[in-house]
Amino acid sequence: MKRIFGLALGILAAIGGFVDIGDIVFNTAAGATFGYGLLWVVVLGVGGIITYSEMCGRVAAVSKRPVFDAVRERMGLSTGLVALIAAQLVNLMTLAAEVGGIALVLQLLSGLPYRALIMLAVIALTVVIWVLPFSWIERVFGYCGLCLLVFAVGALKLHPDWGEVAKGFVPHVNTTSPLVYGYFAVGLLGAAMTPYEVYFYSSGAIEEGWSPKDLGLNKANAMIGYGLGGFLSFALMITAGALFLPLGINPELLGTVALGAEVPLGQIGLILALVGTLFAVGGAAIDTCFSGAYNLAQFLGWEWGKYRTNAGAPRFTITWLVLLALGFCIVMTGIDPVMLTEYAVIFSAVALPFTYIPILLTANDRTYMGRYVNGRVANTLGLFYMLVILFIAVTAIPLMVITHMGQG
Amino acid sequence: MRLSDLLDRKVVTESGRSLGRAFDLRARWTGKTLEVTGLNVGRQGFLERLGIGSSQGEARKHHKQWNRDTIPWDAVLRLQDGRIVVRDGTEAR
Amino acid sequence: MSTSGELDVAYGILDHQIVDSENRRCGKVDDVELEGKVGEEMRVAALLVGVSAWRGRVPRPLAGLIARYFARQVVRVPWEVVKEVDSAVHLGQTAAELDLGRGDDRWQKRIARIPGSGF
Repeated sequence: MKRIFGLALGILAAIGGFVDIGDIVFNTAAGATFGYGLLWVVVLGVGGIITYSEMCGRVAAVSKRPVFDAVRERMGLSTGLVALIAAQLVNLMTLAAEVGGIALVLQLLSGLPYRALIMLAVIALTVVIWVLPFSWIERVFGYCGLCLLVFAVGALKLHPDWGEVAKGFVPHVNTTSPLVYGYFAVGLLGAAMTPYEVYFYSSGAIEEGWSPKDLGLNKANAMIGYGLGGFLSFALMITAGALFLPLGINPELLGTVALGAEVPLGQIGLILALVGTLFAVGGAAIDTCFSGAYNLAQFLGWEWGKYRTNAGAPRFTITWLVLLALGFCIVMTGIDPVMLTEYAVIFSAVALPFTYIPILLTANDRTYMGRYVNGRVANTLGLFYMLVILFIAVTAIPLMVITHMGQG
Repeated sequence: MRLSDLLDRKVVTESGRSLGRAFDLRARWTGKTLEVTGLNVGRQGFLERLGIGSSQGEARKHHKQWNRDTIPWDAVLRLQDGRIVVRDGTEAR
Repeated sequence: MSTSGELDVAYGILDHQIVDSENRRCGKVDDVELEGKVGEEMRVAALLVGVSAWRGRVPRPLAGLIARYFARQVVRVPWEVVKEVDSAVHLGQTAAELDLGRGDDRWQKRIARIPGSGF
């Protein structure tokens, strides 16, 4: 019973934690541009993150290796270094985008100047990470992030054409503007499969001391948590499709996204949407911050982990502090966080193979995994998604350039 | 000598036939010591052709997809002109 | 995989995590020192730990940078200290005794001064 309760809590946190600024921006923009036509891509992306999270959770539980231990062992020092640098750059961009997102939401809530709010956001994040234990951070941000479910209620109240919604779940390609459609598809996949989620998930599994006994928990966490997280993505896209597309609104501002809840639900909808966004994005900022520190510490063999005290893993602590400071500097330049988000998602699509190839290799290695190596299902899905990942890694930047970031 | 001095070196037989590159050392525990018993040699693999391996050869140290062989250490003769020379006939197995 | 049977040195040891006798993570196996010569008997003599040990393993320009900025000594851990090899290399002594994990030690003193550092 206690186990089921723990699972339920973990899943609730995962739902709230799945959505970050990348998902919010891309799902809303995709809905505003193509209506429900890209819903199937979200399903595809969620399948990918489930497949690889399950795999890296299993690798962590059985072989005791987090992602960047596997990267260095399996790709070798030189290629591993390239993977590390790519991962850290993308992570930092994502972190900066999330910090900017927090400040934007705070600005909508308070009306105070943006740069002051960036400072407030970074100070608040630092204090929260420094003081709160890991499980608390996860739960507080996960549960409050659930306020985003207001978009699901909003989507229902907007009475979308459910026939059209259903059609959106059937894989197809838009023929009138295939390139812009392709750009959003790549963005949605990149946002759903953001590598930091995998770094964080696998390091968390090590921190919680998972063993092969926890493999059921791993599977349930990955499938239900990310699966329901995908549900939030649907809600965002359907809301945007039902509301913004007919009006011709292009939600370039985070505030526009929140309108999607205000129109059908009024003031309370707006506030819930903003609070949900604040915590979802705040939680993601913490995840990316830690992910960067996990990666570096694991690659270099330093002590790491939030379960140790701040002073118990000193260079790990310094790393996340420095990353947060760098993220602060980036957003303080005044760069538009929504644009930064798009760049972060597209570049993370390019860096995906570096993260996912070593996981696939390790999960297939019998000396590491014993009888818990990938079975036929995991390998079929793993290879299928590897092809998807390689495809989006190659096409992401050309599509971004050709379509002027989806502007056509 | 360091392990990295041996990894990725070309391996040839005495009569000059190329066997690929060295990508690992096979060793055996004897009590607390780790005795080298063989040289793992292989040709360029599937992953390298995809551009995943590094030119340093470290990445290829253990991808099982490719043609590889372990040459017994007593058949490994010397380092010569940056290459590892092994006894003729060892490649036959 | 423990202390019997066969082991591939690059696959099973190189780039692996090093853990000391108190379960502290204290570096990676950045290279392995071998005793003996090609054509004679050879055995593993020591683990080499530290970024400077990368010099022979990375492309030349990077090796140059490492030589310039990471001139610090490579820490040599004699093979006799290794107790067990599984997903990590476990040592029979503490990091402090072997001069490993010094970077963490240095930063620990500074961080410990901040309130709430848990020290």
